[in-house]
Amino acid sequence: MATRGSKVDRSAKWVLGAPLIAFTAMFVVWPVAQGVQTGLYDFTLQNPEITFNGLENFRRVFSLPGFWDAVRFTALFAMVVTAVEAVLGFGLALLMNRRFPGKKLFFTALLLPIMIAPSLLGIMFRLLLNGDIGLAPAVLSALGLDISLFSPGTVVPLLIVLDVLQWTPFVFLIVYSGLQSFPTDVLEAAQIDGAGRLRTLTSLVIPIMKPVIAAAVFLRMIDAIRTFDVIYVLTAGGPGRTTTTLSIFIYKTAFESGDFGLAAAISTVVLLALLPLVPLVVRRIAQPEGSRS
Amino acid sequence: MTAAALVAAVPAGTSPKDRPRPRRERRTRMWLTTGVVAVIAFVVNIPWLNALMVSFKSEADIAHSPVGAFKPTLSNYANALWAAGYDFPKFFQNSAMIALGAVAVVLLLAVPSAYAAVRLGLGGRLIMNASSSLRLLPAIFFAVPYFLLMSNLGIIDTVLGLVIANSFLNLPLGIILISAGLGEIPIEIEEAAAIDGASSYRTLYSIVLPVLAPTLVAVAVLVFIFSWNDYLFALILSSSNATPVTLGAANFVTSTGIRWGDISAASILSTLPPVLFAVFAQRYLVSGLSAGAVKG
Repeated sequence: MATRGSKVDRSAKWVLGAPLIAFTAMFVVWPVAQGVQTGLYDFTLQNPEITFNGLENFRRVFSLPGFWDAVRFTALFAMVVTAVEAVLGFGLALLMNRRFPGKKLFFTALLLPIMIAPSLLGIMFRLLLNGDIGLAPAVLSALGLDISLFSPGTVVPLLIVLDVLQWTPFVFLIVYSGLQSFPTDVLEAAQIDGAGRLRTLTSLVIPIMKPVIAAAVFLRMIDAIRTFDVIYVLTAGGPGRTTTTLSIFIYKTAFESGDFGLAAAISTVVLLALLPLVPLVVRRIAQPEGSRS
Repeated sequence: MTAAALVAAVPAGTSPKDRPRPRRERRTRMWLTTGVVAVIAFVVNIPWLNALMVSFKSEADIAHSPVGAFKPTLSNYANALWAAGYDFPKFFQNSAMIALGAVAVVLLLAVPSAYAAVRLGLGGRLIMNASSSLRLLPAIFFAVPYFLLMSNLGIIDTVLGLVIANSFLNLPLGIILISAGLGEIPIEIEEAAAIDGASSYRTLYSIVLPVLAPTLVAVAVLVFIFSWNDYLFALILSSSNATPVTLGAANFVTSTGIRWGDISAASILSTLPPVLFAVFAQRYLVSGLSAGAVKG
């Protein structure tokens, strides 16, 4: 009986895994291979003749001023929003961890921004910030502040504020969930030892919560690096190239300039640049047993 | 209580020597927290609350002033849904079909393969590691290849094409969460079933699936929301037939002049399904999002 069972099992794992293997081959492996390969061709919408041109596209990537501008903006944007959201999200999680009336209601309210499609939120931001009919400019001018929100000087801080509005709740959610399994006996011990509030926070809460905060920061960073929707809907990368993220730059190269070869080459460069992070993400996400105690 | 008392229980100079604070003072502190949290919750929700307000304003009131009183009207909703002849109902239907299709495909692919990987040793850690790595890659990397692939297959601008794209985008999350869920089920139940002569398929179907149900709901909710909210692949892979709301509501901006009232109504309607999930399936959502984030 047992031997028969194990024989069935040996085939079962392939039968059960087959759909995934087929899907992966067709819709993951093939596209990745094609993506890397396209980078080696002179392949534009304007020129129907697809010709092999070796590493020419890759050489062009590094001499494109637009590419370096996009790298700079993406890095700056991702680092600033992640840092701000980490601090605010952590603070909010500590605040929400108290007992107070209406907690459940506000918890739900805080999660809503995460659920709204970034592109739809982009439209809502346009409405809110519109110079003629928007609430924000009206309030600002009532306060005597006459600033043009989408001018080159203010658009970057503006986008940072908007990202913080939407994604601070995400960091909050992860840190808050982590706080629910916080070892309370440690806190009681600290209280008995007469540790003050600030002291408890810096030498107990933060060190214990470090892995959770790190996970939240890491995930926000990944998502901030690939930001597309909100910025594309709001500014389409402008004015000029001021707010062109790498994602927007690749999109425009492929689908506005029609240069598929170059776009594929940029994608491959970005992919290679992110590759060193893979072991980190594998360690952080892929090992559930590490978190169990 | 437990950790909820974390910070509240550690006010300045708390030590056993301190006598408990007067009750009234504690009450005031609690309401103060409520006030601060209420302000934050309001601020992060201003964008859609503003859109909600505008969606009930007539075009004349919108043009008149962004602040102040107005006479509420439902005409924008009527316009978005039928009166003005927009394709919005079709966009909405497309979004629903794409999101539900992606949920079905992700579950059908992820459940058996995660089981094969976790319990039957298919591919060792490979499937989990590959899933985690895919989570890292920016979706834009697949823009050009997917556009070419879908064109070659002749399924560009179809719901099927977008179902495949969104299944691909969400498959890693599904596999990560389901594997974590499987890891929490005690293996003894399955061993007992095997000794009773149940095949792997039978064990998976009648023993594992019922226990795994909460995880499957969490995955379904998350995949639905993420697929519904996708914009990049909709932009690349659809032009008119398969346009979902995320793209369709933005299309109002260019195609009909700027009718802000109608746009507001359409975007409020478009955010309803994910937001309703957020409210009614919150338990699954929180566990799913944080499990995908913080290891198992």
